[in-house]
Amino acid sequence: MESSNLLPRHATIVDIRQLTDKEKLFTVRINNGGGFQYRPCQFVIFSMFGIGEAPISISSAPLDSGETIELCIRSAGNLTGAIHKLSLNDRIGIRGPFGNGFPLERIDGKDILIVAGGLGLAPLRSLINYIIHHRWKYGKVTILIGAKQPKDILFKEEILRWENDSSVETYIAVDIAETSWTRHVGVITGLFKYVDVDPLNTIAAVVGPPVMYRFVVAELLAKGIFEGNIYMSFERRMRCGIGKCGHCQINGIYLCQNGPVLSYRDARKLQEAL
Amino acid sequence: MDVVLEYSDVEKFIRELLNDYDVIAPVEKDNRYIFDQIDDPSKIVCQYDTTLLPPVKWIYPNNEVLLRFKLSDFTETKAVNARRNQVLVFVHPCDINAINIMDEILAEEPADTNYLARRRSTIIIGYDCACPCRENILCFDKGYHNADKGFDLYFTDLGNRFFVNTATDAGRAIVEKSTVFNKAGYSDKTDLMKIKWERETTFKKKVHGDINRLSHVLKDAYDDGIWEIEGKKCLSCGACNIVCPTCYCFDVVDEMCPDMEMGLRYRKWDGCQLHDFCKVASGETFREKSAGRVRHRVLKKEVYLKKRFGRSGCVGCGRCIEHCIADISIIDIFNHVMERTGGHGEL
Repeated sequence: MESSNLLPRHATIVDIRQLTDKEKLFTVRINNGGGFQYRPCQFVIFSMFGIGEAPISISSAPLDSGETIELCIRSAGNLTGAIHKLSLNDRIGIRGPFGNGFPLERIDGKDILIVAGGLGLAPLRSLINYIIHHRWKYGKVTILIGAKQPKDILFKEEILRWENDSSVETYIAVDIAETSWTRHVGVITGLFKYVDVDPLNTIAAVVGPPVMYRFVVAELLAKGIFEGNIYMSFERRMRCGIGKCGHCQINGIYLCQNGPVLSYRDARKLQEAL
Repeated sequence: MDVVLEYSDVEKFIRELLNDYDVIAPVEKDNRYIFDQIDDPSKIVCQYDTTLLPPVKWIYPNNEVLLRFKLSDFTETKAVNARRNQVLVFVHPCDINAINIMDEILAEEPADTNYLARRRSTIIIGYDCACPCRENILCFDKGYHNADKGFDLYFTDLGNRFFVNTATDAGRAIVEKSTVFNKAGYSDKTDLMKIKWERETTFKKKVHGDINRLSHVLKDAYDDGIWEIEGKKCLSCGACNIVCPTCYCFDVVDEMCPDMEMGLRYRKWDGCQLHDFCKVASGETFREKSAGRVRHRVLKKEVYLKKRFGRSGCVGCGRCIEHCIADISIIDIFNHVMERTGGHGEL
C-alpha cells in the first residue's frame, strides 16, 4: 500500500457536547486502535473527506491510554461549520498529533501561572487538567481566564470545579457583563492584581488571541517572571503539519514542527511572532 | 564514463527514451519555452533561455492527487503516489540545482512522500548553457551556473556534437542500452575543456560586494525601508512564487465526484505573496502588509533556507524578475541592501 504523511487515520465521533453558541466539544476515537500519544498544547489535523482539513488543538489531557481525544471546535468557516453538523458515530480523519507541545519536563516543582483568553482555554484545558491530576508535583497554581461575555465562557462546569478546588486559584474576567455577574469585569490583564507568585520560580503558560499576548507578557515581565519561563502557543493556518506547506512559518521556523509553543525569549527574536 | 553524441543522432536518442519513459523536454510556445511532454523528438529545442515554469514542477505538479477516498467506505481511503517513469531532458544547471535544493527540503523528516516518489521515478538529463541565457539572472553570483550533481546524464554542446557525461548508474544504463553513443576520445575531452573554460568568462556578477555576506546583510536589513518601497509596488499576484523553482508552499483541497461518493484530495501550489496566505479562522492575517510578504519571500530563500541547509535557496534563474509585472527585482533588492550596509551585515 502507498504510504503518505498526509494520509489521515480513520476516527469516529463518540461524544458531542455543546459548550457555547459557537463551540462544541467532540470526543474522537481512532478506529483501528493505536490511539494518541500527546502532550498538552499539541494539535491534530481534523479531516472531513470532501470538505477539507484544519488544525485543531487537543483539549483533553493525556491522563489515560489515549484512546480518545477531545477537540473543542468553534464554527468559524466551511470546514468547522460542517464539523458542527456531525453526529455521533460519524467518521472523520485525523492526522497528528503535531507540534512540540508544552514543555512538561520544565515545570516540576514550579509555580504555574496559566493565562487563557477566549479559545485559548481549549489547548490550556489540557495543561490545567494534567497539572491538577499531578497536583503534588507543582507549587502554587494560578489560572486566569478571560472571555468576551459570560455566555462565551468555555468549559463552565469545569471552571466551577477549579474555582471550588482549594489547590488551585482561579480568576475569571469578562469584557462585558450584566449586573448579575459577580466576578471581574474588564480585560484579562485586570486579573493580575490577584496574582501572587514567586517570580523566580514561576512558569507561565499563555494562550489567547494575538492581541492579548503583548499586554499579558508585559504584565508577566512586570511581575519579574523570566522571559524564558513565559510560554505561549501561536495560532497559524497549518495545512500539512509536516513542515512543508509554509502556512505556519514565522520567520525561519515552522510552527507545526518547532511550535506551536514558544518561550517569550525565543518568540521575541522572531519579528513576525508578536 | 564519458561518451559523445552526434547532432544527427539526438532525435534517435530521444526516440529510444520514448520507448521507456515519458519524455519531458523544452519546446517552443508563443515565442517562449516550456517544459512539456513530447512524443515527437523534432519538437525539442536545445538552445533555449529560461523556460516559463521550471522543470521541477514536473516533479512537484500543481493539482497533484494526494488521496482518493470514498465516503461510504473509509477503508477505501488511499494515498496516491505517482509511478510513471519520466525523463527531464536538457535541464539547465540552475534548474538542476533547484531540484537538488527541493530534494533536500522535501526529504527532510517528516518527508514529503509524494515528491520523493515522483523524484525517484525521474531521470534528469542536464544541458550546459554555453553562456548567460538572459540579462537579469544571478546564477553566476550564486555559483549555481554549474551543477556538479543531481543529473543522470549531462550534455555539453561541442559545436557539432554533444559531450555526454554519465553521472549515475541509471544514466549509464541508458547509455549502454542505446545504440547512438560513441566513446569520448582525446579530442572530445579537449574540446570540452575549451568550451568550459570559455563559458566561465562569459558570466558576469550582478550583485555588488561579497555574495557570501548576503544572508547576514539581509538579516541586518530587516527593518530597512526597501521593503516598504518594494511592497508598495507589489500587486501580491504571486507570479514570483509560481515561477520559482524552489517555491514549494501548497494548499490542500478536496474535490467530490458528482456522485458525491468518491472524491480526491489535491494539493495546489500556494504562494506566500498572496494576501490570504497567512489568514487564520479568526480572520486574522499574520502577514498583512505586502512589504512583509515581499521581505518574507526574499528572506526565506536567502536567510531561513540558508540557515537550515547551509546554502541559499535562490538559484538565480531570474524567473521572478522576468515575470514580475511590477518590476520588482531581487537583484536590485540585493544591491540596495549591500550598499546600505556597506556589504557587511552583522558579524
